[in-house]
Amino acid sequence: MTSADKPACIMLKASSEAANISLLSEALHALCLYASGSVACALDMQRAVVEALNNVVEHAYGNQPDHDISVCWYLENRQLRIEIIDCGQSMSFLPEPVLPDFDAEGGRGWWIINACVNDYDYKVIDSVNREYVLRPGDRNDNIRSASIEAHSNILTLIKQF
Amino acid sequence: MLINEQKHDNIDIVVLSGRFVMADSPEVRERLKVLIDEGQGKLVVDMSQVSFIDSSACAVLISAFKGMQLKPGRLLLVTSPVVQSLIELTRLHTIFEILPNLPAALDALSTS
Repeated sequence: MTSADKPACIMLKASSEAANISLLSEALHALCLYASGSVACALDMQRAVVEALNNVVEHAYGNQPDHDISVCWYLENRQLRIEIIDCGQSMSFLPEPVLPDFDAEGGRGWWIINACVNDYDYKVIDSVNREYVLRPGDRNDNIRSASIEAHSNILTLIKQF
Repeated sequence: MLINEQKHDNIDIVVLSGRFVMADSPEVRERLKVLIDEGQGKLVVDMSQVSFIDSSACAVLISAFKGMQLKPGRLLLVTSPVVQSLIELTRLHTIFEILPNLPAALDALSTS
Protein backbone atom coordinates (compact mmCIF):
# COMPACT_ATOMS: atom_id res chain seq x y z
CA MET A 1 0.00 0.00 0.00
CA THR A 2 1.32 3.44 -0.93
CA SER A 3 0.22 5.22 2.25
CA ALA A 4 -1.98 4.70 5.27
CA ASP A 5 -4.85 6.65 3.70
CA LYS A 6 -4.62 5.86 0.03
CA PRO A 7 -5.31 2.39 -1.38
CA ALA A 8 -2.89 0.83 -3.83
CA CYS A 9 -4.34 1.21 -7.31
CA ILE A 10 -3.37 -0.15 -10.71
CA MET A 11 -5.29 0.64 -13.90
CA LEU A 12 -5.32 -1.52 -17.02
CA LYS A 13 -6.91 -0.70 -20.36
CA ALA A 14 -7.79 -2.89 -23.33
CA SER A 15 -10.01 -2.88 -26.38
CA SER A 16 -13.21 -4.89 -26.42
CA GLU A 17 -11.94 -8.10 -27.98
CA ALA A 18 -12.48 -11.53 -26.48
CA ALA A 19 -8.79 -12.32 -26.89
CA ASN A 20 -7.92 -9.47 -24.52
CA ILE A 21 -9.97 -10.93 -21.66
CA SER A 22 -7.32 -13.54 -20.91
CA LEU A 23 -4.57 -10.92 -20.87
CA LEU A 24 -6.48 -8.71 -18.45
CA SER A 25 -7.60 -11.55 -16.23
CA GLU A 26 -4.15 -13.13 -16.00
CA ALA A 27 -2.67 -9.77 -14.99
CA LEU A 28 -5.37 -9.30 -12.34
CA HIS A 29 -4.91 -12.87 -11.12
CA ALA A 30 -1.22 -12.17 -10.59
CA LEU A 31 -1.98 -8.96 -8.68
CA CYS A 32 -4.57 -10.68 -6.49
CA LEU A 33 -2.26 -13.62 -5.79
CA TYR A 34 0.59 -11.27 -4.89
CA ALA A 35 -1.60 -9.16 -2.61
CA SER A 36 -3.57 -11.90 -0.89
CA GLY A 37 -1.10 -14.78 -0.93
CA SER A 38 -4.12 -16.99 -1.48
CA VAL A 39 -4.44 -19.19 -4.56
CA ALA A 40 -8.17 -19.65 -3.89
CA CYS A 41 -8.79 -15.91 -3.51
CA ALA A 42 -6.92 -15.11 -6.72
CA LEU A 43 -8.78 -17.82 -8.65
CA ASP A 44 -12.14 -16.58 -7.37
CA MET A 45 -11.35 -13.02 -8.43
CA GLN A 46 -10.16 -14.21 -11.83
CA ARG A 47 -13.36 -16.19 -12.35
CA ALA A 48 -15.54 -13.21 -11.45
CA VAL A 49 -13.48 -10.85 -13.62
CA VAL A 50 -13.64 -13.13 -16.66
CA GLU A 51 -17.42 -13.45 -16.41
CA ALA A 52 -17.77 -9.69 -16.02
CA LEU A 53 -15.48 -8.99 -18.98
CA ASN A 54 -17.33 -11.57 -21.09
CA ASN A 55 -20.52 -9.62 -20.39
CA VAL A 56 -18.90 -6.33 -21.39
CA VAL A 57 -17.56 -7.71 -24.68
CA GLU A 58 -20.67 -9.70 -25.58
CA HIS A 59 -23.52 -7.57 -24.25
CA ALA A 60 -22.34 -4.01 -23.55
CA TYR A 61 -20.36 -3.79 -26.80
CA GLY A 62 -22.21 -6.46 -28.81
CA ASN A 63 -18.94 -8.20 -29.79
CA GLN A 64 -17.78 -5.04 -31.56
CA PRO A 65 -14.00 -4.56 -31.17
CA ASP A 66 -12.12 -1.32 -30.57
CA HIS A 67 -14.21 -0.03 -27.69
CA ASP A 68 -12.51 0.85 -24.43
CA ILE A 69 -12.51 -1.33 -21.33
CA SER A 70 -10.78 -0.03 -18.21
CA VAL A 71 -10.05 -2.12 -15.17
CA CYS A 72 -9.00 -0.56 -11.86
CA TRP A 73 -7.49 -2.83 -9.21
CA TYR A 74 -7.38 -1.65 -5.61
CA LEU A 75 -5.87 -3.10 -2.47
CA GLU A 76 -7.34 -1.72 0.75
CA ASN A 77 -6.19 -3.41 3.96
CA ARG A 78 -7.36 -7.01 3.51
CA GLN A 79 -9.77 -6.27 0.71
CA LEU A 80 -9.41 -6.46 -3.05
CA ARG A 81 -11.64 -4.23 -5.16
CA ILE A 82 -11.81 -4.37 -8.94
CA GLU A 83 -13.78 -1.88 -11.01
CA ILE A 84 -14.61 -2.80 -14.60
CA ILE A 85 -15.55 0.26 -16.62
CA ASP A 86 -17.12 0.38 -20.08
CA CYS A 87 -19.07 2.90 -22.15
CA GLY A 88 -21.33 0.42 -23.91
CA GLN A 89 -24.97 -0.53 -23.54
CA SER A 90 -25.95 -0.18 -19.90
CA MET A 91 -27.85 -2.81 -18.00
CA SER A 92 -31.19 -1.67 -16.63
CA PHE A 93 -31.05 -4.26 -13.87
CA LEU A 94 -28.61 -6.72 -12.35
CA PRO A 95 -29.63 -10.27 -13.23
CA GLU A 96 -30.50 -12.55 -10.31
CA PRO A 97 -27.64 -14.92 -9.53
CA VAL A 98 -29.61 -18.11 -10.09
CA LEU A 99 -28.66 -21.21 -12.03
CA PRO A 100 -30.61 -21.85 -15.25
CA ASP A 101 -31.96 -25.26 -16.23
CA PHE A 102 -29.20 -27.80 -16.71
CA ASP A 103 -29.60 -27.91 -20.48
CA ALA A 104 -29.48 -24.12 -20.88
CA GLU A 105 -26.20 -23.10 -22.43
CA GLY A 106 -26.10 -19.54 -21.08
CA GLY A 107 -27.00 -17.72 -17.89
CA ARG A 108 -24.33 -18.97 -15.47
CA GLY A 109 -22.10 -15.89 -15.41
CA TRP A 110 -23.83 -13.98 -12.61
CA TRP A 111 -24.07 -17.15 -10.55
CA ILE A 112 -20.30 -17.51 -10.81
CA ILE A 113 -19.69 -13.84 -10.02
CA ASN A 114 -21.98 -14.00 -7.00
CA ALA A 115 -20.28 -17.15 -5.72
CA CYS A 116 -16.74 -15.87 -6.17
CA VAL A 117 -16.84 -12.41 -4.54
CA ASN A 118 -18.09 -11.08 -1.22
CA ASP A 119 -19.99 -8.19 -2.75
CA TYR A 120 -20.60 -6.47 -6.07
CA ASP A 121 -22.56 -3.54 -7.43
CA TYR A 122 -23.19 -1.87 -10.76
CA LYS A 123 -23.28 1.85 -11.42
CA VAL A 124 -24.22 3.85 -14.47
CA ILE A 125 -22.76 7.35 -14.45
CA ASP A 126 -24.37 9.80 -16.87
CA SER A 127 -22.75 13.02 -17.89
CA VAL A 128 -23.70 15.77 -20.29
CA ASN A 129 -21.07 18.07 -21.72
CA ARG A 130 -22.13 21.16 -23.63
CA GLU A 131 -19.64 22.39 -26.16
CA TYR A 132 -19.77 25.88 -27.63
CA VAL A 133 -17.96 26.48 -30.89
CA LEU A 134 -16.89 29.94 -32.02
CA ARG A 135 -15.27 30.50 -35.39
CA PRO A 136 -13.29 33.60 -36.32
CA GLY A 137 -15.75 36.35 -37.28
CA ASP A 138 -18.76 34.61 -35.77
CA ARG A 139 -21.19 36.82 -33.94
CA ASN A 140 -22.63 35.84 -30.64
CA ASP A 141 -25.98 34.92 -32.19
CA ASN A 142 -24.15 32.51 -34.50
CA ILE A 143 -22.77 30.44 -31.67
CA ARG A 144 -23.59 26.83 -32.30
CA SER A 145 -23.98 24.56 -29.39
CA ALA A 146 -23.57 20.83 -29.35
CA SER A 147 -24.66 18.52 -26.64
CA ILE A 148 -22.53 15.49 -26.07
CA GLU A 149 -23.93 12.80 -23.88
CA ALA A 150 -21.66 10.13 -22.45
CA HIS A 151 -21.91 7.53 -19.76
CA SER A 152 -19.82 4.96 -17.97
CA ASN A 153 -20.90 1.61 -16.61
CA ILE A 154 -18.93 0.47 -13.58
CA LEU A 155 -19.12 -3.01 -12.13
CA THR A 156 -17.34 -3.20 -8.77
CA LEU A 157 -16.21 -6.58 -7.42
CA ILE A 158 -15.10 -6.86 -3.80
CA LYS A 159 -13.26 -9.76 -2.20
CA GLN A 160 -11.91 -9.97 1.33
CA PHE A 161 -9.01 -12.18 2.27
CA MET B 1 -5.57 -22.94 -26.27
CA LEU B 2 -4.38 -26.09 -27.99
CA ILE B 3 -6.83 -28.60 -29.45
CA ASN B 4 -5.54 -32.06 -30.28
CA GLU B 5 -7.74 -34.73 -31.80
CA GLN B 6 -6.93 -38.42 -31.40
CA LYS B 7 -8.60 -41.72 -32.15
CA HIS B 8 -8.52 -44.87 -30.05
CA ASP B 9 -10.33 -47.71 -31.87
CA ASN B 10 -13.80 -46.26 -32.40
CA ILE B 11 -13.45 -43.63 -29.67
CA ASP B 12 -12.82 -39.99 -30.55
CA ILE B 13 -10.63 -38.07 -28.12
CA VAL B 14 -10.24 -34.31 -27.94
CA VAL B 15 -7.39 -33.17 -25.73
CA LEU B 16 -7.63 -29.51 -24.71
CA SER B 17 -4.82 -27.63 -23.00
CA GLY B 18 -4.36 -24.07 -21.77
CA ARG B 19 -7.22 -21.66 -21.14
CA PHE B 20 -10.68 -22.66 -22.38
CA VAL B 21 -12.62 -19.38 -22.47
CA MET B 22 -14.95 -17.30 -24.64
CA ALA B 23 -12.32 -16.55 -27.28
CA ASP B 24 -11.80 -20.29 -27.85
CA SER B 25 -15.42 -21.38 -27.60
CA PRO B 26 -16.49 -21.07 -31.27
CA GLU B 27 -13.63 -23.27 -32.52
CA VAL B 28 -14.05 -25.93 -29.83
CA ARG B 29 -17.82 -25.94 -30.34
CA GLU B 30 -17.38 -26.55 -34.08
CA ARG B 31 -14.72 -29.24 -33.66
CA LEU B 32 -16.86 -31.14 -31.15
CA LYS B 33 -19.94 -30.83 -33.37
CA VAL B 34 -18.10 -32.36 -36.32
CA LEU B 35 -16.81 -35.24 -34.19
CA ILE B 36 -20.27 -35.90 -32.78
CA ASP B 37 -21.92 -35.74 -36.21
CA GLU B 38 -19.32 -37.90 -37.95
CA GLY B 39 -18.12 -40.11 -35.10
CA GLN B 40 -19.45 -43.36 -33.72
CA GLY B 41 -21.07 -41.96 -30.60
CA LYS B 42 -18.09 -42.32 -28.29
CA LEU B 43 -16.27 -39.14 -27.37
CA VAL B 44 -13.84 -38.16 -24.62
CA VAL B 45 -13.02 -34.50 -23.94
CA ASP B 46 -9.78 -34.56 -21.97
CA MET B 47 -9.38 -31.28 -20.05
CA SER B 48 -6.76 -32.53 -17.61
CA GLN B 49 -4.34 -29.91 -19.02
CA VAL B 50 -6.84 -27.03 -19.00
CA SER B 51 -5.67 -24.27 -16.66
CA PHE B 52 -8.80 -22.10 -16.64
CA ILE B 53 -12.41 -22.42 -17.78
CA ASP B 54 -15.35 -20.00 -17.86
CA SER B 55 -19.10 -20.15 -18.39
CA SER B 56 -18.68 -19.91 -22.18
CA ALA B 57 -16.69 -23.14 -22.09
CA CYS B 58 -19.40 -24.72 -19.94
CA ALA B 59 -21.91 -23.72 -22.66
CA VAL B 60 -19.80 -25.55 -25.27
CA LEU B 61 -19.70 -28.69 -23.11
CA ILE B 62 -23.47 -28.56 -22.58
CA SER B 63 -23.98 -28.17 -26.33
CA ALA B 64 -21.80 -31.22 -26.98
CA PHE B 65 -23.59 -33.17 -24.25
CA LYS B 66 -26.97 -32.41 -25.84
CA GLY B 67 -25.65 -33.26 -29.31
CA MET B 68 -24.40 -36.60 -28.08
CA GLN B 69 -27.70 -37.35 -26.37
CA LEU B 70 -29.51 -36.79 -29.67
CA LYS B 71 -27.12 -39.02 -31.66
CA PRO B 72 -27.44 -41.07 -29.32
CA GLY B 73 -23.98 -41.60 -27.88
CA ARG B 74 -21.84 -41.10 -24.82
CA LEU B 75 -19.66 -38.14 -23.92
CA LEU B 76 -17.12 -38.46 -21.12
CA LEU B 77 -15.10 -35.66 -19.57
CA VAL B 78 -11.70 -35.77 -17.92
CA THR B 79 -11.11 -32.70 -15.79
CA SER B 80 -8.31 -30.82 -14.09
CA PRO B 81 -8.94 -29.54 -10.54
CA VAL B 82 -9.68 -26.01 -11.83
CA VAL B 83 -12.15 -27.34 -14.39
CA GLN B 84 -13.73 -29.70 -11.89
CA SER B 85 -14.28 -26.94 -9.33
CA LEU B 86 -16.13 -24.71 -11.81
CA ILE B 87 -18.23 -27.63 -13.05
CA GLU B 88 -19.17 -28.35 -9.44
CA LEU B 89 -19.82 -24.67 -8.71
CA THR B 90 -22.30 -24.60 -11.58
CA ARG B 91 -23.75 -28.01 -10.56
CA LEU B 92 -22.98 -29.46 -13.99
CA HIS B 93 -21.29 -32.47 -12.41
CA THR B 94 -24.81 -33.79 -11.88
CA ILE B 95 -25.32 -34.22 -15.64
CA PHE B 96 -21.83 -34.77 -17.05
CA GLU B 97 -20.05 -38.12 -16.85
CA ILE B 98 -16.63 -37.30 -15.42
CA LEU B 99 -13.76 -39.77 -15.20
CA PRO B 100 -10.51 -39.25 -13.27
CA ASN B 101 -8.17 -39.76 -16.24
CA LEU B 102 -8.04 -40.65 -19.92
CA PRO B 103 -7.32 -44.39 -19.49
CA ALA B 104 -10.33 -44.67 -17.20
CA ALA B 105 -12.51 -42.88 -19.75
CA LEU B 106 -11.29 -45.09 -22.61
CA ASP B 107 -11.87 -48.17 -20.49
CA ALA B 108 -15.41 -47.03 -19.68
CA LEU B 109 -16.23 -46.47 -23.35
CA SER B 110 -14.52 -49.65 -24.54
CA THR B 111 -16.71 -51.78 -22.31
CA SER B 112 -19.96 -49.91 -23.03
